Amino acid sequence: MLESLFISLQLALVTTVILLLIALPLAYLLAFKSFPGRTGLEVIVALPLVLPPTVLGYFVLVMIAPDSIVGGAWQSIFDRSLAFSFSGMVVASVLYSLPFAVQPMQQALRAIPVSWLEMAQTQGLNLKQALLQVMLPAAKGGVLVAAALSFAHTMGEFGVVLMVGGSIPGETKVASIALFDMVEMQQSDEAWILALILLAVSFVMLSLVYAVNRRGLDVGAGR
Amino acid sequence: MNHIQITTRMGALDLQVGARFLDTFIIISGENGAGKTTLLRCLAGLEQVEGQLTVGGKMWLDSIAGFELPPQRRQSGCVWTDAALLPWLSIEKNIVLGAEPVDAEWLAELADLFEIAPLMQRKPRMLSTGEAQRVALARAIYKRPSVLLLDEPFSAQAPAIRQRLRLRLKSMQERFQIPVLMVSHDVEDARVLAHEHWHMREGKLLAALSCHSRAGGNPDQQKVANHD
Repeated sequence: MLESLFISLQLALVTTVILLLIALPLAYLLAFKSFPGRTGLEVIVALPLVLPPTVLGYFVLVMIAPDSIVGGAWQSIFDRSLAFSFSGMVVASVLYSLPFAVQPMQQALRAIPVSWLEMAQTQGLNLKQALLQVMLPAAKGGVLVAAALSFAHTMGEFGVVLMVGGSIPGETKVASIALFDMVEMQQSDEAWILALILLAVSFVMLSLVYAVNRRGLDVGAGR
Repeated sequence: MNHIQITTRMGALDLQVGARFLDTFIIISGENGAGKTTLLRCLAGLEQVEGQLTVGGKMWLDSIAGFELPPQRRQSGCVWTDAALLPWLSIEKNIVLGAEPVDAEWLAELADLFEIAPLMQRKPRMLSTGEAQRVALARAIYKRPSVLLLDEPFSAQAPAIRQRLRLRLKSMQERFQIPVLMVSHDVEDARVLAHEHWHMREGKLLAALSCHSRAGGNPDQQKVANHD
């Protein structure tokens, strides 16, 4: 049980870090830029919200299979399969939780008062300075929400990680899958504990999200 | 010589402004909706415009040649009606934003000039509107701009401090010899500060008056040729 919990936590942590790095430029593009294919990009980012996890898992599995371009390249570099590995699960989790990271950041960036962005421009801040000194501090609530939701959502994955990871004990068997196995094997005491732990993690993460959102309402009020 | 020749259309406003001016203090007046703020925003590079702009010996815009200097590189010091101070930074950090390393001497001088020295370590939320406006002025001038664009920068100031601020702003303009374009409805601003007085109506520059003002004396105003 502990082993599967540890894998879940590790997966959620790695996924969240990678997601924050990927989601920020995406959120910036979607918040401020108009370009051809914008709507398409927004749809692709939002797809995991409605796609059955097994469908996403299936496509990721096809994409990272050893005979695919990505999977083949991975195999030749690291000399091991990307499919049914922890790294493969990370790839799938990043895609699966993408909207949970991009959308809060996009909304937070859109909520920055235009006067602050214009001030950054006329004060001569370049894009990097404007990002680090104005936009990110102003949108830090959104970044925090993105991190909390990505983490919680990855902890709660089932279909995608089962499909891509293959439930290998000690490597890709995460807590949610372990719980399923426990119920199947009628280990109800252990199942209870694990279920309660997963519930607690989700509860804490969502509490954080709501606390940030409530505080966020008066962030823009300062002159 | 600075040169403005721009046109833009924004909603009901059809802005068409042509003018040449020296590095002087210019007061812009006109009714609400005449395009005063829009003109300043065009100069700052915050609006889409057609035409030519040359300010401070630098080409800012030449839409025929497809050239436009982005606002970040115009070195304009702007004060808008919204002070736009970042609430998580101290007043001091707001003023020096993006301009490291800090010139402490210059910062202290500006803090004294705009009477904000006791506020430097505070957060914007603790300031009155008038104080925030003076911080915005200090921020605009701190980075030694090549032009000042001020949209009613004294509107939230008490009458007593207004006159002091006018004189200090005037001495700043004389010291740095940069063009200052300031929107104001206050006749005192025009009397004390203006080398030139522009009046706008419906997006056009109606008349530019050259003023030879002496504090206390009657402004000897003389109408000059209507700029194109």
